[in-house]
Amino acid sequence: MERLLAVLNVMARIALIFGLALLLPIGVSWWIDDGALGAFDEALLGTLGGSALIALATRRFRRELRANDGVLLVVLCWVLLPLIATAPLLLGIPGLRFVDAYFEAVSGLTATGATALSGLDGLPPSLNLWRTELHWIGGLGIIVLAVAILPLLGVGGRQLMKAEVPGPVKEAGITPRVTETAKGFWIIYLALTILCALAYGLGGMSWLDALIHAFSTVALGGFSSHDASFAFFDSPLLEAITIAFATISGISYVTHFAVLSGRSLRPYWRDGEAPWYLGVLLASVLLIAAYIWQQGYYAEFSTALRHAAFNTVSVATTLGYASTDYAKWPFFAPLWMLFLCSFATCGGSTGGGIKMMRAVILYKQVFREITHAIHPNATTFVKLGGAIVPNKIILAVLGYGFLYMLCTIVFTLALAASGADIVSAFSAAVACFNNTGPGLGLVGPDSNYGVLNDFQIWVCSFAMLLGRLEILTLLVVLTPAFWRK
Amino acid sequence: MSNPLAVIRVFALVLLVFALTMLVPMIVAWAGRDAAVTAFQSGFVATFLSAALLWLLTRRHVDELRVRDGYLLVSLVWVGMPAFATIPLMLYLPQMSFTDAYFETVSGLTTTGATVIEGLDTLPFSINLWRTGLVFLGGMGLIVLVVAILPLLGVGGRQLFSAESPGPLKDTKLTPRMAQTAKGLWLVYLALAVLCTLGYVWAGMGWGDAVMHMFSTLGLGGFSSHDASYAHFNSPAVEAVAIVFMTLAGMNFATHYMAIRRRDLAFYWIDPEIRWYVGVLYASVLGIAAYLWWTGTYPDFATALRFAAFNTVSIATTTGFANTDYAQWPFLAPMWMLFLCSFVTCAGSTGGGIKMMRAIIVFRQVMREVVRIVHPSAVRTVKLAEAPLPNKIVFAVLAFSFAYMAIIVSLTLLMVFSGLDVVTGFSAVVASFNNTGPGLGEVGPSTTFKSLSDFQTWVCTAAMLLGRLEIFTLLVVLSPAFWRK
Repeated sequence: MERLLAVLNVMARIALIFGLALLLPIGVSWWIDDGALGAFDEALLGTLGGSALIALATRRFRRELRANDGVLLVVLCWVLLPLIATAPLLLGIPGLRFVDAYFEAVSGLTATGATALSGLDGLPPSLNLWRTELHWIGGLGIIVLAVAILPLLGVGGRQLMKAEVPGPVKEAGITPRVTETAKGFWIIYLALTILCALAYGLGGMSWLDALIHAFSTVALGGFSSHDASFAFFDSPLLEAITIAFATISGISYVTHFAVLSGRSLRPYWRDGEAPWYLGVLLASVLLIAAYIWQQGYYAEFSTALRHAAFNTVSVATTLGYASTDYAKWPFFAPLWMLFLCSFATCGGSTGGGIKMMRAVILYKQVFREITHAIHPNATTFVKLGGAIVPNKIILAVLGYGFLYMLCTIVFTLALAASGADIVSAFSAAVACFNNTGPGLGLVGPDSNYGVLNDFQIWVCSFAMLLGRLEILTLLVVLTPAFWRK
Repeated sequence: MSNPLAVIRVFALVLLVFALTMLVPMIVAWAGRDAAVTAFQSGFVATFLSAALLWLLTRRHVDELRVRDGYLLVSLVWVGMPAFATIPLMLYLPQMSFTDAYFETVSGLTTTGATVIEGLDTLPFSINLWRTGLVFLGGMGLIVLVVAILPLLGVGGRQLFSAESPGPLKDTKLTPRMAQTAKGLWLVYLALAVLCTLGYVWAGMGWGDAVMHMFSTLGLGGFSSHDASYAHFNSPAVEAVAIVFMTLAGMNFATHYMAIRRRDLAFYWIDPEIRWYVGVLYASVLGIAAYLWWTGTYPDFATALRFAAFNTVSIATTTGFANTDYAQWPFLAPMWMLFLCSFVTCAGSTGGGIKMMRAIIVFRQVMREVVRIVHPSAVRTVKLAEAPLPNKIVFAVLAFSFAYMAIIVSLTLLMVFSGLDVVTGFSAVVASFNNTGPGLGEVGPSTTFKSLSDFQTWVCTAAMLLGRLEIFTLLVVLSPAFWRK
């Protein structure tokens, strides 16, 4: 109980800062007078008042956080902050139900991009800005989570990243380390966002749209201010900009940091996963372009390539924009795209899925087993980026990979049991669990998650959270052992 | 690699014995004066001569087989024998392509039970006897394979099982051990065969049908002499007998052997898998029955229970009989049944999938990872039957399970790529790879695999072989490193 209160205190202070994020849409709403100002004002007051109250009430329990408290804090952040984030949505969109609002907020903060709303073009722009700002804040949180917290906990072999992160490695306290490492990454994140917004603006978007989509792109979220997503703009230039920034955002921030601080592009090459990531992405774009062209869906190869490039990169990096209804493509293409989104992005990026790092380790371990079978007494290693991966980490990664597939199956069964057809159920499970966004069938790119029933919406919300917190973080909090003294 | 020619010599001997088994349907055909006599005569002569020729050419290469030769021998037997088994089928059914005939015989020898033949009821008794006889032979071969050979090869953590099977463990020599262990287990297999036949006859089948379905039941295959499978009999008594013997055949034969030899049922309780196997199986039966009743598929619980029990046990044990078109049930039920067939049967049985043993190990390893996050410094081992498992085995099991899932995903993508819908593609792959038999959609229980294209049929054939030889056996032989000096 004491631990819960101590964490709650930190939580309340984070919520206080989170509340300040409402000032951006408030400013925009006031400036263009879109009628949502009242909703944001009330939400701001409620959030600040509520969190200040909790912070004061639990003030006595403040103490240095330990590793276990970190787990709890992370889980609480991702479960409770969406609650706060629903306030402006519920107040600003009359008739919106809490289930859908919470789904939308979770989808925002986990940088998923699956939406339960339709008629986005008719919403006050400030509300759309708030939706993608959630992506952006979530993206910040994800970087901290992926680079600073999960490696300390050793979730699914994340320790691997620890060695590469600059700054002192302290085993006991989390806080000093978080601030240390996070700062560098936030600067990169901010710089990327500004560059992306500028590029969108110069590429022909209105400046507000540019900001909204930059938030969404850099966080690999996928919310848009238009129902038609990128088909609304129908501009190859804007699509190219998206492809560039989505690709960059899918690479580990640790690697970006190394490149910038060393002023050399070599870390991209020496990184164990970036070459795989880029290679798989490029090969898949070409494969899908050739496939849909050969199947006669597009008459010209250049058109096929344009749409294949945009949608494949968008789904594979777990962004989730669409420039066309790719669910209508011959079925292999969207299935391959969903397959990619489950592993393509790099560990330490804002993307979802099991991450390329783990996929490479799993792949190499399978080959190691074959070698073992031929030479039973040989001593073999799995190497990543030139370094030997310890067995302990491989075990963790294997366990993680297995748990990941099991969760996908369970979510699919849960959605199918509650009445969704198999394509919709499976694709919704994959798209939410990998924090991608649009699925296929009922929840395809030209539709939205509003068609699902309440139970299914909750399953999808849970899948997004579980995927974002890399399963074990959330599972651990749910085990009795965690709460034992 | 000691000497491939020595391996071929052993293969020739196995083939010689296999040729002799063709005499049984030949005599039956001759006695019943059905039209397949010549087909079996030619089949026997061709197989016998080929085997004799192979043996003559390699007879001087009498080397003791080493562990590595085991991979080659096993692959050769399971890839080569079905080719010879096709001869009677192709001669009797001249319009049948080699692709289809090979699929049918691989399906038999791997005890899968997927068929491409329509109009089974009109086929001569001898042909159906040959088809189901292949399942029975495959089952006998499997017992040697899974209990005596694979543990020695250490495929996917199989070392574990060697400790439990009777017979001395001799370091690297293959043949003495095979003979030793096989004998006792075959006795159990034959005893069950006699009991099962008597059971079927008692329940009302004719002797011919009883023998054929006994073959299919004990091998956990699923071939029937009727297009309608068990719906043809429409008899709860027959179904009850089938359920009992399928359940028995899904247990480890080594456990049966020990229990019979020592006259002590406690061995079933000591066996770490059986309680899980029985528990999961019958909990699923009750769950599916309740679900069917609740969704109104059947008006009363008793009928729901009858159909749920037979079809669930049949699919989960990877047999593949059906007494109704369960693909028409609410989708969760057949999905759950397919899910079960991928792990429920015990290691050392004639069933397919990853086996309950590995499922338990994977599950415990995942739990271990969860505990490790809560207590980072705790030392914990994965235990099975009170004994801690070496990490090496946990590794092999996890890598196996991962390769297993990766292959399902890849083959499904391949099927969809070649133009199948996703339900048919996925279920065909799962049903073939787990050696179950019927899938869903176009390859559901009420249809056959005939509608698949040649390419898709070959994918399924490969899946059956990969699944039966526990993936790595085949992969090892296909890897270049295996053939290097």
